[in-house]
Amino acid sequence: MPLEEPIQNLKEDHTEKEVMINIEGLHKSFGSNHVLNGFNMKLHRGENLVIMGKSGSGKSVMIKCLVGLIQPDSGRVEVMGRKITSLNQQSLDELRADIGFLFQGSALYDSMTVRENLEFPLRRHKNKLGVITDTTPLVLEALENVGLPHTIDLMPEELSGGMKRRVAIARTLILKPKIILYDEPTSGLDPITAKEIIELMRNIQRKYGTSSLIITHDVDCARVISERMILLVDGINYAEGTYAELSASADPKVQAFFKK
Amino acid sequence: MKKTSSENLRLGVFVIIGTVLLLIAAYAIGSRQNMFGQTFKISAVFKNVNGLQEGNNVRFSGIVVGTVNRIEMINDTTIRVNMIIEEEMLKHIRKDAIATVGSDGLVGSMIINITPGKGKAPLVKSGDEIRSYSRIATEDMLNTLNVTNENAALLTSDLLKVTRSLVDGKGTLGRLLNDTAMANSFWQTIENIEQISLEANTTMQEINGIVENINFEDSPAGILLSDSISGKKIKAVITNLETSVTEINKITANLDTVVSQIKNGKGALNYLTTDTTFVDKLDATMRNIEQGTERFNQNMEALKHNFLFRGYFRKLEREAERSP
Amino acid sequence: MSASLQIVEKAKTFLIEIGDLSFFAGRFFKELLKAPFEFKELLRQCYQLGYRSLVLVGVTGFILGLVLTLQTRPTLIEFGAVSWMPNMVGISIVRELGPMITALICAGRIASGIGAELGSMRVTEQIDAMEVSGTNPFKYLVVTRILATTLMLPLLVIVGDAIALYGSALVENFKGQVSFQLYFNRAFDALGYSDLIPATVKSFFFGFVIGLVGCYKGYYSKKGTAGVGVAANTAVVFTSMLLFIIDFVAVFVSDIFYDL
Repeated sequence: MPLEEPIQNLKEDHTEKEVMINIEGLHKSFGSNHVLNGFNMKLHRGENLVIMGKSGSGKSVMIKCLVGLIQPDSGRVEVMGRKITSLNQQSLDELRADIGFLFQGSALYDSMTVRENLEFPLRRHKNKLGVITDTTPLVLEALENVGLPHTIDLMPEELSGGMKRRVAIARTLILKPKIILYDEPTSGLDPITAKEIIELMRNIQRKYGTSSLIITHDVDCARVISERMILLVDGINYAEGTYAELSASADPKVQAFFKK
Repeated sequence: MKKTSSENLRLGVFVIIGTVLLLIAAYAIGSRQNMFGQTFKISAVFKNVNGLQEGNNVRFSGIVVGTVNRIEMINDTTIRVNMIIEEEMLKHIRKDAIATVGSDGLVGSMIINITPGKGKAPLVKSGDEIRSYSRIATEDMLNTLNVTNENAALLTSDLLKVTRSLVDGKGTLGRLLNDTAMANSFWQTIENIEQISLEANTTMQEINGIVENINFEDSPAGILLSDSISGKKIKAVITNLETSVTEINKITANLDTVVSQIKNGKGALNYLTTDTTFVDKLDATMRNIEQGTERFNQNMEALKHNFLFRGYFRKLEREAERSP
Repeated sequence: MSASLQIVEKAKTFLIEIGDLSFFAGRFFKELLKAPFEFKELLRQCYQLGYRSLVLVGVTGFILGLVLTLQTRPTLIEFGAVSWMPNMVGISIVRELGPMITALICAGRIASGIGAELGSMRVTEQIDAMEVSGTNPFKYLVVTRILATTLMLPLLVIVGDAIALYGSALVENFKGQVSFQLYFNRAFDALGYSDLIPATVKSFFFGFVIGLVGCYKGYYSKKGTAGVGVAANTAVVFTSMLLFIIDFVAVFVSDIFYDL
């Protein structure tokens, strides 16, 4: 299923811009399993960075270190210039309000309606958007962005996989984050739905000018969305470059990603 | 939001029902210990409270009107029992009321019974001390009954001796009548019999009192005894005892006649010595006494075997063994 | 491995479990005292865990009362003590059977429910999503649930007790022509505060354990759908065992206080 050609003109050089995320020498191991062995990465403002790796290569661990869900063993993790590991709970929560996180399986709260799901991040981060008396316009705006305003009073179980993913995106958008982290945004979806989701991600970036860090093992997704790619192999940033550069690489470990 | 408010409504109803049930239970228990409502205090002094405990019920003419609040030992023979009584009973309890320690049936817990006095004494006030009567408890009563029984056996053997002497012939009769020692012993015997039948009578009345208590429907033991076969048995035994006592009474009356005839001078004495029918009658009387006492013994035996009293009699036996 | 070594291993695992559970309980109390307090969620959990167990507890209690009375009736008749039925049933239900049966029923319904719910939330990253949204998931999910079970169980027990006594009174009324008034008079005659208070205090502990173990097992559920099943299952087993241990301890303690 060929996806639409990557929009090369969207790509611009971000390297001169402000660094939103900076990871240096990230180490993390679970028992004897060394997942990350000195991973380095920089995400610039407005950039679309794709990190590709096989299952179990530590992509999810890395992305969770970024929001303080997992404590790294060693290494420097800075988001917007602030060191995640040395923040107290309150500053961490404040920082998290600027980071949208799309979880792998959407992670919608099963016991809440779509509206309550979207309102949930507003509970603690109200200050960010000023005093809110009525959350409905915000919820509706976020749902309109993903084209699902009619689902507002449905339960997550009544939604299809693609709709769930869209609602989850709406939930990450509701706090108007500066950075969005996508953990396998197309996993578990059929190719058409996956394409719709990718389209949605691009629209969002255009509309809000967010920086995106996308973690995937889906080559098609990477091809369409990436401006820059990092291949995560053996716990380090094995190769870096554009999709075209990497897919043309002769390195067998790099080639393994692009083989169908 | 509608859903949440109806959920909260139902939750509220549930919480209130639960709390109210808890309060009702607490109140129902508390009201039985007179923790709520208007009450007043009276006290009574006893020598022995027979295992009465704080929290036991107080009854006035059979109605539960309060509970025992505190039992304090004042000295080795005086125990003060403080009671909490419902205030509305102030109108009914008079100063001459008598408190007794009783048991709520044969297997029930101990209670205090307040019985109205005979006179028209003024009504009690809070803090008053009313008279008490250390009523013979079941144990003491059975003890008395046992002693009575033994006495009856002794007497019967005494009387038998006398009767035999009478039957043995005129010489003996003459000697009997002339020998003052013998005559005295005869008198003594007759007095004893009288005493015994009096005692037996009192005991019977007390047993009757207990039986009435047992019949009292609200008492758990009463109900227990009314539904059980053993209860009926106990009643039968007690009825038998009563019959025996009546017989002993009759015999005593007969003997009395004899004695008064003897007393009434020589004419009567002559009559006695010459009239053989009278001697026969005396003999028959003696036999009756014997039979009566025997039946009395059997009844006592039956009572001993009844499971309710078994423990008591065993205890007696053990004590008897221990103190030879 | 020899059998004795296996036993030592098992005992060690058990002790580690108890230790972890104690830490979890400690964290509960720590978080309980810290603001903010999730009152709305507490109410929702009270409804979900308390009110919605009401029918189950009621039906069980009713049947318990019926069966207990029907089963003991012949024996009591034989001893001529059938009039002691309200005293016997009243004491046994209020002191022991009511709290214990209700707690076991709730262990089956609530502890497994919490275990499965939190387990699946853990597996589908909903707990992570909450944390990223700036809501402390321990406070939002665990504290509210443990508090809800702790508060609701005594209420369920008292309602269960009342229904069980009613069931028993119904049998006596039907078979023995005992009026309800007489039945309850005699039942309350037999009961004292030394029966009611320890049973109620015990119920709070039962509720606490049901919530605690359910949350503990669910919160630390292993990844994957199998982990959810294990969480639900072990939650019930562990709770039931702890309930009996607590009951045993409670009898000892109330013995000291009330000299039964």
